[in-house]
Amino acid sequence: MTGFDTFAAALTPLNLLFALFGVVAGTVIGAIPGLTATMAVAVLVPLTFTMEPASALILMGAIYTGAIYGGAYSAILLNTPGTPSAIATTFDGYPMARRGDGDLAITLACLASVFGGLIGAAFLLLLAPPLSSIALAFGPVEYFWLAIFGLSLIAALSEGNVFKGLAGGALGLLISTVGVAEISADVRLTFGSQILLGGIQAVAALIGLYCIPVLIDLVATPERHLRVEQPKGFRLAEAIGVSLRGWLNLIRSSVIGTIVGILPGAGGSVAGLVAYSEARRSDRGGVEFGKGAPGGILASEAANNATVGGGFIPTLVLGIPGTPPDAVILGALLVQGIRTGPTLFESGGAIVYTFIWGLLLATLLMLPTGLLIGRYAYKSIVAVPKPLLVAGVAFMTIVGTYAIRNSTSDVLVMVVLGAIGWVVSRFGFAVSPIVLGIILGPIAEQGFVQAWTIGTAMQNIPAMFFGRPISIGIITFTLFSLLWPLARTAIARRRGAADLPVIAGAPAVRGPVDWATVAVSAVLSLVGAVTLFDTAHYSDADSKVFPQTVAIGLIVFAGLCLLRALLGMRNRDTPPSGSMSRRTALVVAVLAAALLLPLVGFVAASLLLVAVLIPIGMHERWTARTGVIYALSGVVIVLAVTWLFGTLLHVPLPVGRLF
Amino acid sequence: MIYCVMKRAAAGALLAAGLATGAFAFPDKPVDYVIPFGPGGESDISARLQQPFFKEKFGQDLVVSYKEGGGGAVGWSQLNGLSGDGHTIMGVNLPHIVLQPAEKDVGYKTDDLVTIYWFHFTPDAIVVRADSEFKTLDDFLKYAKDNPGGLTIGGTGKGSANHLAQVKFDELAGIKTAYVPFKGTGAVTTATLGGQIMAQWGYTTVGAAQGDQVRLLAVATEERHPLFPDVPTFKELGYDLIGGAWRGIAVPSSVPEEQRKQWSNMIAEINADPDFRKKMEEGGFAMADVPYEEEKAWLAKQKEAYIQAAKDAGILK
Repeated sequence: MTGFDTFAAALTPLNLLFALFGVVAGTVIGAIPGLTATMAVAVLVPLTFTMEPASALILMGAIYTGAIYGGAYSAILLNTPGTPSAIATTFDGYPMARRGDGDLAITLACLASVFGGLIGAAFLLLLAPPLSSIALAFGPVEYFWLAIFGLSLIAALSEGNVFKGLAGGALGLLISTVGVAEISADVRLTFGSQILLGGIQAVAALIGLYCIPVLIDLVATPERHLRVEQPKGFRLAEAIGVSLRGWLNLIRSSVIGTIVGILPGAGGSVAGLVAYSEARRSDRGGVEFGKGAPGGILASEAANNATVGGGFIPTLVLGIPGTPPDAVILGALLVQGIRTGPTLFESGGAIVYTFIWGLLLATLLMLPTGLLIGRYAYKSIVAVPKPLLVAGVAFMTIVGTYAIRNSTSDVLVMVVLGAIGWVVSRFGFAVSPIVLGIILGPIAEQGFVQAWTIGTAMQNIPAMFFGRPISIGIITFTLFSLLWPLARTAIARRRGAADLPVIAGAPAVRGPVDWATVAVSAVLSLVGAVTLFDTAHYSDADSKVFPQTVAIGLIVFAGLCLLRALLGMRNRDTPPSGSMSRRTALVVAVLAAALLLPLVGFVAASLLLVAVLIPIGMHERWTARTGVIYALSGVVIVLAVTWLFGTLLHVPLPVGRLF
Repeated sequence: MIYCVMKRAAAGALLAAGLATGAFAFPDKPVDYVIPFGPGGESDISARLQQPFFKEKFGQDLVVSYKEGGGGAVGWSQLNGLSGDGHTIMGVNLPHIVLQPAEKDVGYKTDDLVTIYWFHFTPDAIVVRADSEFKTLDDFLKYAKDNPGGLTIGGTGKGSANHLAQVKFDELAGIKTAYVPFKGTGAVTTATLGGQIMAQWGYTTVGAAQGDQVRLLAVATEERHPLFPDVPTFKELGYDLIGGAWRGIAVPSSVPEEQRKQWSNMIAEINADPDFRKKMEEGGFAMADVPYEEEKAWLAKQKEAYIQAAKDAGILK
């Protein structure tokens, strides 16, 4: 069954065509922030009703793996993960692109994605039934500790001040609790607002926090978005060299990605973060992680594509979707009358193995297509004049955010969070800890509440939290990750080497009182206090415990930041200079578009936005020629994207009074 | 009672369906079918199963889109703001649309929603792993009585159909179990299979999807479910527990009366298709037909019953 016949079945021209089409379409969709792999697969479902089951699976698997890879483009070129799986790719990808190595970063992402995808699919092919037990071995408490392990990365991402990072992380955790509680019976932190009822959508928050600050600083100066010396092509040989030197990192990250993919409660974002954390911990020098280390991209991208094969393991073996796109694929199979589960590997084995071979082929096809599309994406971002880049990207953030769950409220939340993100990051509160809090908050809270309930029923809460072998393993890794950098510095110091910075970023300098940090810290403490006040009204103890604990943490960490700032300890980079009026104008324009969207309709609001943003982003003298070209390009971008979303992807775009 | 309504309604629906076909050129463009949950859940799968039959019968695409959030509340609170040209419909679920607005301010009231047709329900059931020491409901009850508060049983969320069933059954049986809330049926099922919890308040659909990896101890229906002829009902074991989660469709309040009836007829026609029924029943769903004409009175009764049950259970004050 595993042999030649199923391999040959996967090789039919039609299946190859599906694999090729899927990978290309997936890559493009994944590159657009807001369009996730889940959505890409969901759009395809009706098409698959009339297909052979194996072909349908190959098409969906190809688009899925393509989308996970495509997320890397925007992560590297715009600092905005195209899908949540690419969060960790931004950490080093964007710094690399800024210094002129965007082409290398994209080629590395492609190589790592293909490698990770192949490893994940190989595990699916060879070891699916035994590995599926991992999905069942992880209980609530393991998920809780896994989230804590992910949060320990905050220490590394804090850019100089751990307290600021922890305060940001706590803020993110609180943001994740907003809205109707998932597993308890309260509405939290909405203050009666309809907009917040459905919670702050994690992908919307990602787009806001990562992309809006980039846009704000983009309009401020006439400098180019990315530095480019002369075009160097794919830089494939260089990338292969880097990848070969990072072979251990690639293998480790792919294995991590496969395992995390098997876990139904985690997913590509967690896989990327865990692999990144491990790569960073075991790094032996070279460019610092977070400052444009190629190893960071290798880790994140190998891991997130490995989750594709990993996620299919519990999906096909147990009928439990490993990741959200798998849930959609499972639904499509049900419609076709195929039941997954242990019998599928025996009775329906031919379909399964044909699919797995197809997935392997699709992953291989990603190598040439990924390199070509990546090259094109890079060239476009570099070549597009700033006014059009600003207008186009801002427009995409709006339409992408809207498309996540067809909600204009999400667009508003995205813009506001983006503006907040820009302000706080200017004062040394990096946005990545906030994002980590938002992504990992629900995993931590649900795991905690469930583990506590089960522990209480067992009358042994300590054993529940600290007595299970996998938990002990994760706790050990967490401690190791946190303490290793300190230990390494101590060892280096004893050997008389120069001080290695424990944490990347600007060192603390004594100076006058840092009033800006004082203000931000005071506001964050206030957020904590308001949360405590809000929790007093909750009817269910399960909805209280997590926000209360986190709010107290936020007050403590923000208080420490405030104290340090009052003492004049200043540790933040000098904020980028440039025109404040342009920055403000951009925020006002995007906010206005978000508010106008439901009133005047999608196309009208978008055209207005583009018309306003082009002059805001324009730093050169206008000529008749640029005027006409930019205006026409703006209209074309809006209409083309509207067609893509409205007609091709069936997104019900808002219609208002105008059009 | 439920089966009674279903039989009567099915006959009426068939008749009405016959009249509807061909009478008007409606729908005349693709229909937007909004699911107020994420992709891959049971509501999504139900819609996906209807999709090809709709296309085949009415010649237009049924395009599924998602408006996720707040356990469905986000979608339902925005339903009446959507286009009223009859080409936008939304999935609705019971007890969600009754219990959510009764518990808290979620931006809509049950009576704001123009529900059209209830097409199936998923009966409550206690699910355990195949190798569980609980072979029968009696084993389960014995353990619960010997270990008050020590039997962990999972379900989706709080104030949900599962939670309600748990509280109600505990009361009926005079036991105290520890309810562990999860996000979505899939997450509870994973915990059940992994032995993280001892049992699950789930639905017959879980039994259908997981096959012989799980065992149902009892089902909360009037009569035994055709897919599980060996599983007793709570009723025959002496516990008056009948319930589950219902699914149906609703339209924005601006949709005219005429089209509401047309929608009711169209859903009835799909529901009456033997191939469709077979697919649904294989998936563990229990088919039902509550058309537009009868739906209002039926829902009022359901609402009263759910609110009473939730009050008795202490979920509502």
